[in-house]
Parts: sequence; C-alpha cells; structure tokens
Amino acid sequence: MVRQIISVFLFFFCFICNAQQYIGNKGKITFFSEAPIENISAVNNNVSAVYDSDTQEIVFQLKIKDFIFPKKLMQEHFNENYLESDIYPTSVFQGKVFDQNTDNVRVHGSLSIHGEKNQIVVDGELFHKQDVVNIKALFSIKLEDYNIDIPKLVIYNIAEVIEINVDIELKEIL
Amino acid sequence: MKNIIIVFFFFSFSLTAQDNLLSLINLEEEPNYTSYTFKGTKVVNGQSIELPSSGVLQFNIQHRFGPLNSGSYYLYGLDNAQVRFSLEYGLKDWFCLGIGRSSSSKTIDGNMKLKILRQVTGTKTFPFTLVANSSIYFNQSTKDQIDLPSFRFTDQLIYLHQVLLARKINRNLSIQFTPTFLHYNAIEIHDNESFHDSFSLGIGGRQKITKRISINGETFIQLYNPQNNNVISFGFDIETGGHVFQLHVSNSPAMIEPLFITMTDADFLQGDIYFGFNISRVFTIKKD
Repeated sequence: MVRQIISVFLFFFCFICNAQQYIGNKGKITFFSEAPIENISAVNNNVSAVYDSDTQEIVFQLKIKDFIFPKKLMQEHFNENYLESDIYPTSVFQGKVFDQNTDNVRVHGSLSIHGEKNQIVVDGELFHKQDVVNIKALFSIKLEDYNIDIPKLVIYNIAEVIEINVDIELKEIL
Repeated sequence: MKNIIIVFFFFSFSLTAQDNLLSLINLEEEPNYTSYTFKGTKVVNGQSIELPSSGVLQFNIQHRFGPLNSGSYYLYGLDNAQVRFSLEYGLKDWFCLGIGRSSSSKTIDGNMKLKILRQVTGTKTFPFTLVANSSIYFNQSTKDQIDLPSFRFTDQLIYLHQVLLARKINRNLSIQFTPTFLHYNAIEIHDNESFHDSFSLGIGGRQKITKRISINGETFIQLYNPQNNNVISFGFDIETGGHVFQLHVSNSPAMIEPLFITMTDADFLQGDIYFGFNISRVFTIKKD
C-alpha cells in the first residue's frame, strides 16, 4: 500500500515538473557593432529557448548560420573567418534567474560562442502572462572573451564590444 | 512494482536538470549546403564555381606583366603591363552576368554563369557543385581593318562553354574539374583550316594556409587538337575586408580563356613566367 501511494505521488510529481516549462523557437536575436568605418548588424529569427518557472532556469540556443546580414560578404566573413560556423555551429546560453523585481530579472549563466564558454550576468525583462512568457534583454559581449580575433588590417571596421538584443516569446509545454 | 517506483523516482528528478532543459530544444535537421568553396569567382585565370551573391556587383582589376626572364632592361617584365577590367553582377544567388575588356588583344567578353547543383550534406547529400559557364569574345578592330573587303563581323567571335565541377573536400581544400569547349569562328594566325574547335580539361584547386590566405593552382590540358603549351598557373588569394587580392604566376600573360587555354607559347619550366595580380571589390547594390 505504501509503495502504491509513493508511486502515485511520484507519478503526478513528474507531470507537475513538465507543466512548468515554456518553449519558443522563433525568437529574435540581433547584434550591432558600431565602428569608425562601418556599422555591422545582423539578425537571427530562429532562436530557441526554454524556461522553467519552477527552477527559474533558462536556456537559449541558436545556429550561427541563421544570422542574416545586409551585406552578403559580411555574412561570409562572419561564418568563415570570425565565428567559424562549420566547426562551432551553435551558440548556447544556460542560466538561472537569481534576482526578480516584478518584470525585471537578473540572470546568471554561461554563454558559449565560438567554442568558448564564459560566465555572464544579464539584466532583462521577463513578462509572465498565463501560458505565455516574453523575454527581452540587452547586453554586451567582448569579442576577445570568445577568442574571436580581428586582424589588424580591419581593426577599424569591427568594434571590440558587440551589443546583443534578445526578444523571444515562449509558450507553455503541454 | 518496485521497478515502477524506481522509474518514476528518477523521472521526477531528471526533468529539473538544466541539460534536460537544453534537450527540449530540437534544432531542426536541415540540409547543410556547402558554401565558400573558393574565395573568388576565379580559381586563378579560369572561372570558379563561385558567383557574386544576388544584388552584389563585383569590380575586378586584373594586371599581367611581361615575362620574369626578360632581363633588367624590362625590369623583369614589370615594364610591360596589360590590364583587364571586368564587372560581374549577381542577378540571383545562382545566376550572374559578367562583362570585361582586355587591353592587349582589344577583346570584349561577356559571360553568364548558372549554378545548377550544390554540394550538400546533412538530411540531403550531393557530392559536388555543378556550374555552367558560357562566354562570348569579340575582338575589336581598327577602322582600316573594318574597311577591308574580306572583313566579316562574325569572324571576330569566339565562343566558350564549360561545365565546372567542384568539391570542397574539407574546410581548407577544394578541387575543381572544368571540361571546356572553345569554338573560334575564324583563326587568322593558324593556317590549319580545321582548327575551329578545342576541347580541354581544366584542373584547379585551392588550399587555405590561414583563415584569409589560400594557395591556388590551375592548369588546362588540351585534349583535342592541342595548339601550344598547356597553361599552368599558381596564385595566392589574400582577403582583406571588402577586397580580395590575388597574386599569381603563370606561363600565359592572357586573362581570357581563348588566349590562355590554346595560345600559350611560353614554357613554365624554361622560366617564361608572367607575374600578375587581380584586385576585386564588391558593392552591395540591392539589399534583401
């Protein structure tokens, strides 16, 4: 009898876990680099993310190849020379909300780009309405932290700090 | 019963782990088309399978100097330069048009390139990229030549058709085979009347030595009706932002196919080597 009670309890428990997760795969991440000669921007409209409102954990994943640039040559150099998307096809962020003040959240986590993993802190907004979660964030990363080297010849073309803008809508996993 | 408890027990914990959150994201498997097989639209002198992207205009300035073994009086060939200007425009990612003019032979050429099949891995696989290229060449004439009774406009035309097969073997090494057909409407310099057509096989490749520098090599072997020596060329491609610089040595000073495939007199091994360079710059005319 005890066993049955425990098993029923655990059975429901594992469904409760499931019900607290939110997923989206049409998120948007744009980045912007302001440099003396040329501003560089790109957009990725296929960003995936999962948020667990129980554990407050959050995960983002995207394909480097999905970044679209206004100039094709920039896109070629981005994939071939800087991010080396054939070797490092994806970028992943795994973090946890550790400070929440109404809709404003602070997330700690690890961001891996170009095979390099760094701990970062991101301030953003997390709107939770019934079965939909909207996440917005704006933060900056340094290229040297991710082992993305810029040849001296083009140093004036590329900023060393890149601004990243995140916007994604997640829906409850049923 | 015990087993069931154990299964539920593990199930209820495993979902809270963060790696499992990541495993909920299924990145769609999609065909992975191979891109950037060559840095430029030319391997060295001959066409490569690369086309300018749609909406992109590429401007090329090509220079060829005299033979290196011409002595100090000619500054080892640098005194004697010829030039070709050309423009290539990508109407689609798979279709482009080009026009160019060579200074020494006064030849105007036009070409069109069509990408038919692409090398792909992943959910679809195909081993190589297939491109068709057709060109037409027109030799400009002086007024005196045009006034001759024997002058015919159509005699000035040369046609080229080629199939470009290339495979990117790994991120550094690419090879290309280029079966080429040339048709000359009229050949003045050869007495042999039968010489109108030429078949040749181009073999080319590139090996990247750094992210931005590659070594390229190319030859065209004349298979049918060989007229002269086969052309052999080696070059460096150096990429800097919006420009590609190509430095090369070849036993032909020509920059257009009819001249370098069938009319190469020089012998590479005898030191009849011509130095040359190309500079290409792209302009984004139409943004998506």
